[in-house]
Amino acid sequence: MAVPLITLFLGACFGFSLNKAGLTKYHKIVNVFRLTDMAVLQFMMTALVVAMIGLYGLRGLGLITFPTVPATYIVGNLVGGLIFGVGMALTGY
Amino acid sequence: MKFIMNYIRKDTWSPYIAGILLGVVGILTVVLTKSLLGASGAFENLAGMIGKAIAPSAFNNMYFNFIMPPGITSGVILLVGVFFGGMAAAATSKTLKWGKKDAANSDKQWKRIFGPQTWKRWVLGFFGAIILEYGAGIAGGCTSGLAISGGMLLAPAAFLFIAGMFASGIVTALIVYRRRY
Repeated sequence: MAVPLITLFLGACFGFSLNKAGLTKYHKIVNVFRLTDMAVLQFMMTALVVAMIGLYGLRGLGLITFPTVPATYIVGNLVGGLIFGVGMALTGY
Repeated sequence: MKFIMNYIRKDTWSPYIAGILLGVVGILTVVLTKSLLGASGAFENLAGMIGKAIAPSAFNNMYFNFIMPPGITSGVILLVGVFFGGMAAAATSKTLKWGKKDAANSDKQWKRIFGPQTWKRWVLGFFGAIILEYGAGIAGGCTSGLAISGGMLLAPAAFLFIAGMFASGIVTALIVYRRRY
């Protein structure tokens, strides 16, 4: 199968949803950190819940196997997240 | 049908609807390509590729040989798709600013806080993005690659990352916005 083409299409859908949710705008990203506009959180958490239900449902039916789950190393994830947050709040991207 | 078309043309969707779309895309990514969505890794793949061409010895280390192999990976292809998908979405809501006068810096809130100069936004964007990508490199992913893709597989790493991201993001926003509101 033409996996790169599918990837390209999925990327386009990803970009489409990001743009429509307003996550391409500076003020949306910064205002979630100022706790005045929760659109980013609503968007992220809805996506998480929908994908969780779908993926765990499909795995329960034995239709898919999960790809490699991102590795957990507590200090790295936490410190990386802390540095990432600074950059995200500064740039708004 | 007309209702749906009108909704697609709206500038900003309800974040719940857009979130459902992203959730479905996340499921399809796992089902069809057996991999996860992710954006920040692509920059590291490309940086590795350029680095290997210019200074092979400096880039001949663990990170660029095993963790982030250089080359045109699926992440890079995905990123190209994200770019054009975002443009398509802007085009449907007629907010595409390609070639327009204030295309480089059009955010009203930004101008109110930092002034109208474009170079300021570019400088802050450049250095902020270095911090952002560095953090993503340490954590092993960004908002899309770790927080959303990892979170939907219930990876503990994703929730640690989200906690860290919001803790420091809120503090940074407080510092930047302290006296301006």
